[in-house]
Amino acid sequence: KAPPHRPGLAKMSSAEPGRFFCTAGRGLEPFLAREVRARLGATEVDCVSGKVFFRAAAGPGELRKLRSGERLFLLLKKHSPLPVSGNKGKMLHEIKSLVIEEPKYWLDIISVWRKLCGHEGKTDDVSQENTLALKRKSEEETSTASKRQKTEQVRAIMSEECQVEAEEMCVAPERMSGQECWIESKTSSEFPSKGSGENPTVNEKLSFSFRVSCRCSGAIAKILTSQEIGRAIGIALVKQCGWRADLRDPDIEIFVHLNDIHSVVGIPIFRLPLANREYIKTAGLRSTVAWAMASLAEISAGALVLDPMCGLGTILLEAAKEWPEACYWGADISDSQLEGADGNIRTAGLTDKIELLKASVKALPLPSESFDSVISDIPFGKKFKITNDAQLLPDILQEMERVLRVGGTIVLLLSQDLRKCVDGLTKCAGSDSPEATADGDSKADPAKARSVDGSSSCLAHGGGESFLRSRHFGSLVPDGVYAVSLGKTDAFIYKCRKVSAAGNW
Amino acid sequence: KLGHPSELPPEPVPNYEGDEEFLRRLHHVLLEVEVLEGALQCPDSGRRFPISRGVPNMLLSEEEP
Repeated sequence: KAPPHRPGLAKMSSAEPGRFFCTAGRGLEPFLAREVRARLGATEVDCVSGKVFFRAAAGPGELRKLRSGERLFLLLKKHSPLPVSGNKGKMLHEIKSLVIEEPKYWLDIISVWRKLCGHEGKTDDVSQENTLALKRKSEEETSTASKRQKTEQVRAIMSEECQVEAEEMCVAPERMSGQECWIESKTSSEFPSKGSGENPTVNEKLSFSFRVSCRCSGAIAKILTSQEIGRAIGIALVKQCGWRADLRDPDIEIFVHLNDIHSVVGIPIFRLPLANREYIKTAGLRSTVAWAMASLAEISAGALVLDPMCGLGTILLEAAKEWPEACYWGADISDSQLEGADGNIRTAGLTDKIELLKASVKALPLPSESFDSVISDIPFGKKFKITNDAQLLPDILQEMERVLRVGGTIVLLLSQDLRKCVDGLTKCAGSDSPEATADGDSKADPAKARSVDGSSSCLAHGGGESFLRSRHFGSLVPDGVYAVSLGKTDAFIYKCRKVSAAGNW
Repeated sequence: KLGHPSELPPEPVPNYEGDEEFLRRLHHVLLEVEVLEGALQCPDSGRRFPISRGVPNMLLSEEEP
C-alpha cells in the first residue's frame, strides 16, 4: 500500500524495482507468469484470472518485450474486494478513498511512470510546474468548501494559475459545477489578465490531463455502473489535483478494476497493447497465442521448425523473433495467404530465417524425420464443416508425424471438436489423458495447467467412426493441453511428442 | 542450373573442404542467392516445380484453397 520507490538518479539500465500487473487472454496467464520470471527475473508473481501481478526491476525496453501479455500496468493499489452495500453513496465513498491520495503521492507516481514509459508523455517541464501549482493547491484545499456537483462533462476548465491567484474563488461558487466555476472566475476583475486570454501556452503546460477507465464486475456491478464509478473518481481527482479531464487523448490514464476477487488501481505504461507487434504487418492468429505455442515447442539452436498450414505466418514470425538461432519453414496451399506471409517476413526482416513453400499438409514435399518441431494452427470454424475437419485430421497428423524426427514436438491449436479427434487418435500410445491437474498453486509451470473444461477424458466423439479408430498414432504421446481464449471462441493448444518411429511400437 | 555466373563444377572436387574458393562460391549459391522466378527440378522424375516470387509451388494437383 506504500507509494512506489522514489526514483533517484538511476539510469534506465539499472531500473528501480516496481510493482506491475499485466492483463492476459484467458488461458495465457501461466505462460505470462513463466515469461515474466524468465525474461524479467520477476518475483512475487501472482496469477489470477486474466491478470498476472509481479515485481521486477526492469526498464521500458525490457518490459516492452513481453510476448504473452495484453496490457502492462504500473500497480498502484491492490486490495481485497470492496465491501458491497446497497447504498450507492457509501460505495462511491469507499471507492474514492481507495483511489484518491495526496497530490504528492500522484507526483511520485507520475515520475516513476514517466521513467517506465520511456517518455512517451510530455516533457519534464510540465511536472516541475505542476509541482509548484499542486503544492499551493493542497495548502488551499483545507480552506475551501466546494460542494461536489454532478456535471455532464467532467472537464473542469480551471487553470492552475487561477487557483493559485484567488483563494476565495473556490469558495464563492459553492453550488455551481466546475464548468460554471470557471466562468465565474473568468469574469471576475481580479485576474482576467492572467486568465486563458493572455498566456495560453503557460496554461496548457500546467494542465495535466487524465482519464479514468473503470471496469467492474461481480457484486459491485449490481449496485454501480462502470461509468458512474469512473465519473465519481474523475471528479474527485480534478478536485484533489487540479488535473484536466480529457477523454480522448489524456496524458495519463488511471485504470480501476473492481470485482469479486480484488480492487486494483493501475496506470498503463504503454499506449499500445503489447500484442501489437511492430514487426507484423498483417495479423492472423493473435500474436500472444502464437508465441505461447512456440514457447511449448522446445526450440533449440539449430532446430528445424515447420508450420505446414502457416497462413500469414504469425507462428513462424513469433518463433523466429524469439528463437532466431533456428530454421523455419512454412507451407500453405493458398496464394493469397503465402503472399501475406511473404510480406510479413520481409517487413520483419526475417527472410533469411523463414522459408516458404506452396504445398499441401497432406502431401508434404519434405523428407521423413527431418524436422525437430511442427507447430500449426489447424483451421476450424466457419470455413470448414465439422465432418470435413474430422476426416482431414488423420491425414494431416500422419504427414506431420512423418516429417518429425523421433523426440520432436508437435504443437497444434485446435477447436474442441478437433481436440477430441486428436485425443482419440493419440490415446493408444499408452499414456493417460493429456491433462495433468494443476498443482493448485498459481505459480505452476504451464505444463501443469488445468484446462478450462476440467474434463479428464475426451474420448467422447461417439461410436462408429471406424476410419478414425483404424488410424492410430502410437508414436505420438500427448504432453499437455491448454485451454485458451481467442476472443470470440475458445481453443486448445495441444502438445505431443514423437517417442518412436511409426510402426515400431 | 542457376543461370548465374557462379562457376561451380558439376560435382564437388576431391578435398573440397579445403578449397576456399569453391567453398565461398558454394556458400554464395546456397545462402546468398534467392531464386525469385524459376523452377525446381526433381532429379529422379524430372518433374518441374515452378518458383514464383520466391515461393516454389510443390502441389501435385490443384488443391482447393
